[in-house]
Amino acid sequence: MNAAPLVLYAIALAAYAWHFAQRNATVGRTATTLLIFAALAHTFVIGMQTMEVGHVPVAGPTSAISTFVWLLGLAYLYTELTTDERAMGVFILPLLVTLQSIPALRPGVEDRAAVLQGPLFGVHVSSLLFAYASFALACVIGITYVLLFKEIKAKHLGFFYARLPSLQVLDRMNQVAVVVGWIFLTIGIIVGAIWAMQARGGYGVDPRVQAMSLQDPKIFVALVCWFVYSFELFAARRIGWGGRRAAYLSAVGFAIVLLNFVPISYFLTKSHNF
Amino acid sequence: MHLLLVGISHRTAPVDVRERMDFATRGLPAALDKLAGCGSTAETIVVSTCNRAEIYAACEDIETARNDIATFISEFNGVSSSAVAPHLYAALDLDAARHLFRVAAGLDSLVVGEPQILGQVKSAHAAAVSAQTAGPILNRLFHASFAAGKRVRTETGLGSGAVSVSYAAVSLARKIFGDLDGRAVVVVGAGEMGKLTALHMKSQGVQHVTIVSRTLQHAARTAEAIGGASAAPWEELDSALSASDILISATGAASPILTKAHVESVMRSRRNRPLFIIDIAMPRDVEPAAGEIEQVFLYNIDDLQATVRENLQRRASEVAKAEAIVSEETDKFTAWFRSRAAVPTIVALRQRFESIRRSELERLDFKLAALPSESRTRVDEITRLIVEKLLLTPTEQLKSAGDDADAMAAYSEALTRLFALNDPPQATPEASRGTSKVEPFARKPSRPR
Repeated sequence: MNAAPLVLYAIALAAYAWHFAQRNATVGRTATTLLIFAALAHTFVIGMQTMEVGHVPVAGPTSAISTFVWLLGLAYLYTELTTDERAMGVFILPLLVTLQSIPALRPGVEDRAAVLQGPLFGVHVSSLLFAYASFALACVIGITYVLLFKEIKAKHLGFFYARLPSLQVLDRMNQVAVVVGWIFLTIGIIVGAIWAMQARGGYGVDPRVQAMSLQDPKIFVALVCWFVYSFELFAARRIGWGGRRAAYLSAVGFAIVLLNFVPISYFLTKSHNF
Repeated sequence: MHLLLVGISHRTAPVDVRERMDFATRGLPAALDKLAGCGSTAETIVVSTCNRAEIYAACEDIETARNDIATFISEFNGVSSSAVAPHLYAALDLDAARHLFRVAAGLDSLVVGEPQILGQVKSAHAAAVSAQTAGPILNRLFHASFAAGKRVRTETGLGSGAVSVSYAAVSLARKIFGDLDGRAVVVVGAGEMGKLTALHMKSQGVQHVTIVSRTLQHAARTAEAIGGASAAPWEELDSALSASDILISATGAASPILTKAHVESVMRSRRNRPLFIIDIAMPRDVEPAAGEIEQVFLYNIDDLQATVRENLQRRASEVAKAEAIVSEETDKFTAWFRSRAAVPTIVALRQRFESIRRSELERLDFKLAALPSESRTRVDEITRLIVEKLLLTPTEQLKSAGDDADAMAAYSEALTRLFALNDPPQATPEASRGTSKVEPFARKPSRPR
């Protein structure tokens, strides 16, 4: 079922790329319309899965990825519609298409373990997914910042100069995305810790609950992320690490997020393999 | 009806002739009024900018209209016709249309692709519309030119990139800071160049301009000339810099006044907020190595000129694309303009057919009288549809023959003769004879069977 949104995301990506190359306003509007349709189709898919299994499918890594893609698509659409800047689409859409191909190739919703029922778990997962979507946006904005920055510094005003918004705007968008992401990351981690403590009381025999400690790669890397983004926010405000350095930090931060989100979830973690 | 253009522009006339062609201050309505008074033109529009004055007209008699317009240009501007005549150019029909499309697209401008011209063409048309001197031909022509101009703007890069040093500086500042509203500029040096660039920045929304000079009086004088600027003594350069976003340096100093180390210390006090340094002094005021500092964007006059050159080259490479669009739009307009020649023949043909239909219906009225009114309406409708169908292909063929003037003339001539379009159409007996004659023709195709 996840294949339909994947196809729509891919078509939207082609339209965004065409728009970026040609700067044709009609193509741009078409691209946005296609992405809106993709997001609607994806909403429908997630809605159907929710009806099917009786809860929002976020428990296993595959359905979490699908939900993440959906959130990122919506977050990007929100940014585009509020800032009227369409240039970032060509950078965001490849990420959507790549990640969405995982749920498209592994159909179905994973069963939810009994331990995962309850509101705290829902808050934990949804805040983290939303945080990751924000960080993805921040990363892409950061990459475009660096591309434009390099053109201006090299005094060769060409491709990106003509297509991207100003450095100031990119920097501000990056900051907002990181702040939003950081807030949700913090909430997600704290709620996760509370939930783990409660779970230990009720389901102490479950090996996965027992593995919930700082030694588990997934939890450890999530904390590394939190430190990276905390440092970025601190450095931008206190030691003048705005602009390019903040952009690099956003890229590094999101690389860690992705690492944690896909390979570690599937292969390494002992605590989060539900 | 012909389309005529008579004009004078930077391509044909030196500036001392051009500057006397000032329709804008003398008033476009008056000019349009006077032109309409000549009587030799049916429609007129005056396009007047600082680099051109062009009159577009729809007229029957080309020679008279052309002479009238030439006389008008010299008389209206109070210049002897011998001074103007050598610089005038004229174009007819499609050449006139193509010329206007090139003008609207910015292809004929002094700086190719400059953006104002399309707006100027639009206001020229608007003035003619309110003076009621624009008619169906010029309205169509000008709307087509807006379309051509807009297409060139959106589909090519002809108008992209700054093509003067001060615009290049402003466009860079916008790419770094986004909005220039509320930004602060420091100008070092009280010379002319710094003043001009500061004025330009101010017109783009920059809020505070501070002039710093070795002699405070000079700085104060320049600040006064700019208006709304403040002057500061040399010792306050650093504090002015830490409060500003853009530095324009234009002193006559023989050696750099800002070293890399100096800029570094300033950046620390600015907490690394971006600083855009425009060094337009020659020799340079700012050590080139200062450009290596993170968040310092240093451009000297050569860099700005290089970006201007790049933009001009990029524009030049877009000219062919723009010309292709102009050609397409000219072809579209041509098809319409030429098909107009067929309009009188088509109208006459339709009238002839309609009159035959009506007279036949009248002739058969006594036979049809017995029918219920519903059936009579149907008969009327069927006959009308037959006439429409019969005329559809000939009308299309005639309109599309517009590309070839000879073919068009031959078709018109043939139709006029075959259907006696020049004769008065109300001859009922002739019409009825016509229908009876048609019968053998109608049987003809069955014979080869």
